[in-house]
Formats: sequence, C-alpha cells, structure tokens
Amino acid sequence: MIKKYLGSRWSPFVATFSVILFFYLKDALATTSVVATSITFGLPLAMAAMVGIMCERTGIVNIGIEGTLLVSSFIGFFVASVSGNLLVGLFAAVCMGAVSGLLLALLSVTWKMDQIIAGTIINILATGLTSFFYKQGHTLPSTFPEIDIPGLSAIPFFGPVLFMHGPLTFLGFFLILVLWVALYFTPWGLRSRSVGEHPGSADTAGVSVVRMRYLNVTIAGAFGGLTGAYLTLELVGSWDRGFSAGRGFTALALMIFGRWNPLGALAAALFFGVAQAITNQLMITEVVTIPQQFTNMLPYVLTILILAISAGKVRAPAAEGQPYEKESA
Amino acid sequence: MKKKIIASVAAIAIASLGFSVAPASAADESSCGTAAGFCVGLVTDVGKVDDKSFNQSAWQGAKTAAAALNGFSKYIETQDPKDYASNIDLFASKKYNVIVTVGFLMADATAIAAAKYPDIKFIGVDQYNASPATNYTGLGFPEDKAGFIVGYLGGYLTKSGKTAAIAGGPSSIPPVRKFIEGFRNGVAYAAKEQKKKYPKSSTVYYTGANAFNDPAWGASTAAQYLTQGYDVIFAAGGKTGNGALARIAKKKGAFCIGVDTDQWATVPEAQPCLVTSSMKNIPQGVQVLIKQVKSGTFAGGNFLGSVGAAPYHALAKKVPAKVKAKVKALTAKVLAGTVATGVK
Repeated sequence: MIKKYLGSRWSPFVATFSVILFFYLKDALATTSVVATSITFGLPLAMAAMVGIMCERTGIVNIGIEGTLLVSSFIGFFVASVSGNLLVGLFAAVCMGAVSGLLLALLSVTWKMDQIIAGTIINILATGLTSFFYKQGHTLPSTFPEIDIPGLSAIPFFGPVLFMHGPLTFLGFFLILVLWVALYFTPWGLRSRSVGEHPGSADTAGVSVVRMRYLNVTIAGAFGGLTGAYLTLELVGSWDRGFSAGRGFTALALMIFGRWNPLGALAAALFFGVAQAITNQLMITEVVTIPQQFTNMLPYVLTILILAISAGKVRAPAAEGQPYEKESA
Repeated sequence: MKKKIIASVAAIAIASLGFSVAPASAADESSCGTAAGFCVGLVTDVGKVDDKSFNQSAWQGAKTAAAALNGFSKYIETQDPKDYASNIDLFASKKYNVIVTVGFLMADATAIAAAKYPDIKFIGVDQYNASPATNYTGLGFPEDKAGFIVGYLGGYLTKSGKTAAIAGGPSSIPPVRKFIEGFRNGVAYAAKEQKKKYPKSSTVYYTGANAFNDPAWGASTAAQYLTQGYDVIFAAGGKTGNGALARIAKKKGAFCIGVDTDQWATVPEAQPCLVTSSMKNIPQGVQVLIKQVKSGTFAGGNFLGSVGAAPYHALAKKVPAKVKAKVKALTAKVLAGTVATGVK
C-alpha cells in the first residue's frame, strides 16, 4: 500500500505542492518568490532537456547541448550587441543553434561517427571558439523586458509565478507543450519515435531515417539556440566565458529523469528549480543554520531520492546511439 | 576527403582544448633566465583572467609592472585544481623570475613550489605565507574593511531595510567570508547609527562546482532577492557576481555593489544600479612586489595591500550629500582602524 503510494510518479509533485501551500500560509512573500524563482532556475534546464529529447527520440545521443548553449548564447549576445537589436540577436542565436545541430547530424548521421565523440567535439569547439573570439566591453542595448499580463499578474501567488515573465519564458513553455503534442499526437512524432526505436522498420515503412534524423537534430539545435538566447538576452543580460556553466549536462540527467517525455522533463526541471530556490531561501532567511555545503547539495540529493523512489524502470529509445546502415539486399 | 575534414575538425578541437596561454608584452620569452631578461608569469586559480574583477586585476598589475621594467609577462589559466602545480612548473622550467599565483585556493601549491624553486620569487595573491620562505610573499587584503565601508553606505541607501550579499564562492574561502561579514557588520553599524531596526543582512553563498563562474546562477539568485524586496545587493564573486549585477541593473530603484575592482568600467551592464564597488587594490599590490623583486628588496613573508570603495560615478546624484560625507568620514576611520569591523 505504502509502496504503491510512494511508487506513483505524481507523488513527489503532490508532496511539493502541499509543502508550497504550507509555507505560503506561513510566509507568502518568500514562498511566492521561491516558486517564481524556481521557474527562472528550471526553465533553461527544461528547454535544454528538450534538445536532448528531440535528438534521442530519433536515435541520436546529443551530449553537445552544453556546446550549443555556449556558442548560441555567445552569438546571440554579440549580434544583439553589435546590431543594437535584440530580435536580430535572438534570430542569430537560433540559427547558430541550428548550425550546431546540423554539425552533429553531419558527424553522426552522414559520417556515422561515434555520437559521444561527435557531441564532445561540439562542446570543445564551442569552448575554444567562444573563448578565442570573446571581447570585453560589449553591452546589450537592453534585455527582453518582463511582461506582466494585465489582470492575471495581479492574482496573489499565481500572478508572480505564472504571469510575470519575459517573452522567451512564455515562448519556452509554449514550445515545450507544442513539442509534447507533436511527439505523441502527430505523424511527425510517430515517425520520429519509430526512427529512434527501430529504424529498420521505419525505413521499410517508407520513412527516410536519414532525413528524419537530420531534420530533428537540426530543429533540436535551434531549440538549444533559443535556450542560449534566453540565458543571455533575457535572464542575465551579459555574457562571460563558460557562460552556460554545465546546464547542458544537467539537462541530460533531467531528460532521463523525465523519461524522454517533454512534460516529464519539464516537471523534473521545475522540481530541480524549486530545490535550488529552496536552497537559496534557506540561506536567505537563516531560520536554521546549516553548513552551506549541505544546503547546496539539496537539489542533487532530492533529485536522486525522487529518482530512486519514483522513477521505476527507465527505458531509453532502443536505437539510441547507433548509426543507421541500410541493409544491402 | 571526408577523413581530412574530420581530421581538421578534430585538430581544431584539440587545439582549443586545455589551458589558454596568451603572451602580452613586447619582450619575448627566450630572454627568460638571461641576465637581461625579466619574466613574470601569472597562474590563475579556476577563475578566469577576464573575470572583470579579481583575476583580471591581478593580471593587469603583473602586466603593467612587467612592461614598466621592460620585462615579459604571460598568464596561464588553470582549468582544473589538480593542474596548479604543473602550471607553476611550466613557468619555473622556463626560468621565469617571478611567478604570481592568484587566489586563496593556490596557497598550498605555491608554498610547495617556493620550496622547490628557491631562485624564483613567488607572489601569492590572497594568500598567507606561514612558512619562513624568503622567496614567497603572501599578498593579503583587509577585505572586511572594504566590505564594511560599502555595507555602511548600503545601510544608508536601503529603503526597505533589506540588504543582501551574493557570494560567488563558499565562506570557506577567507577573502569571500571577510568581504561578506564586513558588509553585514557595516550595514548593522549604519542601522545603529540611524537608530533603525533592519533585519539581519542576508547572504547566499555558492558552493557548487562552478564557483565564481556561473553568471546565470548569480542572476537567478538576484531575481529571488529582488522579488522579496531587497534593494541593496552586494555581488561578491567573479562572473557569478557579474551575472547578479547585470540582473539587478534591470530593477528600478535597486542598488548593486561590485567587488574587487571598480566594476563600473568592467561590467558596463551594471551601471544603472552600481553605486560603488568594494575594492582591493590588487594591481598596486602586485606591482609593488614585482618591483621589489627587480630592485632586490623582495623579502618574503606577507604584504598587506590597500582597500577602499570605488567612486559613485553617475549614481552620485542618488546618494544624498549628507550620506557621502558620513561615508567619507567612516572610510577614514575604518582604514585607520579606529572603527573596528568586528570580523575575525
């Protein structure tokens, strides 16, 4: 009975929400802030996890997400800075992301390279190139402003949490939903998943494995570009070397935590974000004095705990990591 | 053809791997170890040489001193703590005259290297030399004083009474802890002087794997503070702090305070909120010590550098004249030691 309850995949989220309610009644301001900030912490991770999902669902392992984030945030920042137009920067970042996706597709689909190595090349290239070309002293003309949706943003708790964000945050959430619908309810989604599970059968059924993989990995790259643009043009407003700070790798873990499902990964990322914001809040309010090293472990420990209790059997797409070779008759 | 392309991609990738090395001045490295040559090598800890604060100012000091002495200077950025010793060895094997190691985290590696290479002079920024070595000087700063002064200013500027500090690294790094605790005590001092009851100034320390190098974390944490009505925030910590500064700048009515160097110039994004920076005069300290090496007066032990608060720049109009006068008076007292910071 207890095991069944604990085993439900929704239990951690039910628990989280009851905890939030409890603390909201105690300290509304801090609780609202924690939950709102968890979106700031979690959304870039969720968006980056989508890159992984789109690639792996078609059978391409992408460990180059970190590199995509780094190089696209770099391009986004500098193009916006030089052109003086945020939208131009955003466009450039998305294009750069798509190019990095295209490179991964070229290496792993056409040249059938080991996909882990292909991803590593992207990471290393991104680190090297952005470090080499980085110049100090550039600033953005502005950043994407926070949009307070009239009326809705005045609702206590839900207003600041859901309706007071920048445009790329809304866009990110929207695209995650679109991806979920597309992956499970459209012909494209079915084809993508079939290519990731059993490319041979997909090919027999008339789906071009190569074209499907190219398409998805490139779109995924563009999504990574959007994530990079979000980080620099909306969240921070500056760029520094090593800007993405490992988010691309955390995203891979969240993708697995979310069972290669866009909504699952979103929930996992938001959960991680909540844990991060709570960690901060523990230090901000200093109700209890816990060594910082322990509080900072919290997001990771909680994630492992939840994973151990509720994840159950996690199964990766069957054809993941294998280059597709057409059988010759 | 395909193989060629793959090979060249791999070559570029490998070339961009590892540490980055950059030469800086006109003299060249082959002169190192000769009587005429004077070479200064600088090794950063895991922070980056273009962090717009700590490492950058140390490099600036080393570069300027070497240029003034017609010497050669070069830096190595450490990518991983296990490379501290090998990066120092790299300079030592080329017979550099002075090796500057930047950051508390490199103290142990520097002390060991100083014993290993008695002919080379070592300058350890933010380090304390507890050994009797005469070829190793720890360059320390009273960060608590620098923090106290800006905290005092913050205590007068805050309207909500809520002040905060975002630390890019853990409090187990003494300079970080001293900056932060000085800041908190400075706020408390100002509150007492105004007979106001502020909540205790708050701090979030970063202790993850990307200490001083996670701007997005800094920005998110700043957002968390801002939504809770904190209106004076001290961002202390490399690129993590820079991210926080840039985020605070987007909030109307909030003040931010930079660290280590005058960040008005190095983080232009922060200008809308940057009222001052809690400065350590690292370039000057490094230069003085390097010149001592050249003139033969370098004696080892420890050297105490100077600290202070950066000018208000454009935000001067937001600071009442009365407060400016008070801060000026307090700065003199704190630096002279007549007002204690209360930080051990």
